[in-house]
Amino acid sequence: MPPGLDALKHIVVLMMENRSFDHMLGSLKAVNPLIDGLDGTQWNPDTQGNQVFVQPLAEFQSQLDPDPDHHFPAVDLQIFGGDQSATRVANMQGFVKSYYQQQQDLAHSQKIMYYFPQDKLPVLTSLATNFAVFNRWFASIPGPTICNRAFAHYGTSFGQVGMNVFYPQGKSIYERLEDAGHTAKLYYFDQASSTMEVVNLLQHQPQLFGTYDQFLADCKSGTLSDYSFIEPNYTDHDNDDGAQLASDQHPDHNIQAGELYIASVYNAIRENPDLWASTALLVVYDEHGGIFDHVPPPACTPDGHSAGPSDTQLDYTFNFDRLGVRVPAILISPWVPKGTVVGVDRVFEHASIPATVTSHFIGNYTASTQREQSAQTFLDLLSLDTMRTDSVFFNT
Amino acid sequence: MNEAGRKTTNNAIRRKQGTADKNAPPLAGDVTFIRIPIPPASAMNRDRPISSLIQAQLQHIQHAESARLPREKRDGRRPEDIHTEAEAASYIAAVTKVLHPRGRKKSKIRLSGQT
Repeated sequence: MPPGLDALKHIVVLMMENRSFDHMLGSLKAVNPLIDGLDGTQWNPDTQGNQVFVQPLAEFQSQLDPDPDHHFPAVDLQIFGGDQSATRVANMQGFVKSYYQQQQDLAHSQKIMYYFPQDKLPVLTSLATNFAVFNRWFASIPGPTICNRAFAHYGTSFGQVGMNVFYPQGKSIYERLEDAGHTAKLYYFDQASSTMEVVNLLQHQPQLFGTYDQFLADCKSGTLSDYSFIEPNYTDHDNDDGAQLASDQHPDHNIQAGELYIASVYNAIRENPDLWASTALLVVYDEHGGIFDHVPPPACTPDGHSAGPSDTQLDYTFNFDRLGVRVPAILISPWVPKGTVVGVDRVFEHASIPATVTSHFIGNYTASTQREQSAQTFLDLLSLDTMRTDSVFFNT
Repeated sequence: MNEAGRKTTNNAIRRKQGTADKNAPPLAGDVTFIRIPIPPASAMNRDRPISSLIQAQLQHIQHAESARLPREKRDGRRPEDIHTEAEAASYIAAVTKVLHPRGRKKSKIRLSGQT
């Protein structure tokens, strides 16, 4: 076993909200051409037939208001450009058209093509260039948050393509780990933000949960669980400590607050030398939030479920045989070679998370979902023979 | 809460977010320190209309509340009457305290080393 894997005791996943790969990391193509980002030639037609090119004009807030539609029918339009034929091909030509539908404002609809220049996202881009960035990590479903996050927890959404309450018919990654004698925890930000896993995990298994404060304390004391899943703050609100900015980066929340949050999670691990040497941190986004990305989502192993027209709100049944839009994903560990770019030949999705965690901590697990069984795992990226001594650290 | 109590200054956010602990032991190895900006105070908007995500979370919270508590002990607020992020956070906190009483009251974003 490679020494990095031998040393690995903790896997931490931080899942942010609703930003596409190109929107956040597309600028990095100029830094490293192996990163499949943007070069300025990518475009979408607007509703007048004009070409709308990508531009590095994304702003921290107030630009993507209203929240771009990212429910199943809108994402279908974004991916297929409005083609409903049986022979259609994913072309990523419908983002401007989709956003136009929300306000019928031609100029505003073009903002869905904007992306961040590298210097506006010092945390995300420095982590991407110092550790491993994935060229092909896709949302699990061309749809919204709840069903996509379910893939990270269960390896499936049990047939859901939307935001409805559902009950799982299989064990979450946390239950699997506990059954196998391991430890696992979901950390939400505070009680006013809570979790997106309310009905199943919080209601029935509250012992699995902690808060962001507890995560920081666990890092400091060296008592972090084998597996940790961290949720951001989903709302602007007050708590006993005063005003709290939403840190999830969901439009129209402030991007810089999310950068701070990512930095704080990374720093907490980095500052404990034992934890730093024995932890892999994955920063990933749940779905693209209706924002442009230029890479068509590929077909995938069917999920064993189907969602009919009443669920998809389209004239067809979805068999969970295509992934959602590409999202940012970065793997951080001192055992990852600096500047790793995971190639386009390796496709990951959120089922890769329980598949990887299960494989590392449990080994053979016969009850994993069909999507997990076909998902790529990512710990082979901890490939160095000796641990790196260089790293980054964030300060305000 | 009155407007004065709700006002957040840039300095207040800076104090809460803070910087790394200068008394912490130095990090070993070749460390590149990267300075990151603090969001402006104007980023805060408790009255922002809730997104479809928070609307869904409210439905899930109410579902769990109904399953967990007898009618007389429920919060009483209905998701369809909740319109702003602050209102949503208040209801979500009330139910989460019941579902997960061990959740601490405080959470603030800190760069490591702060107490």
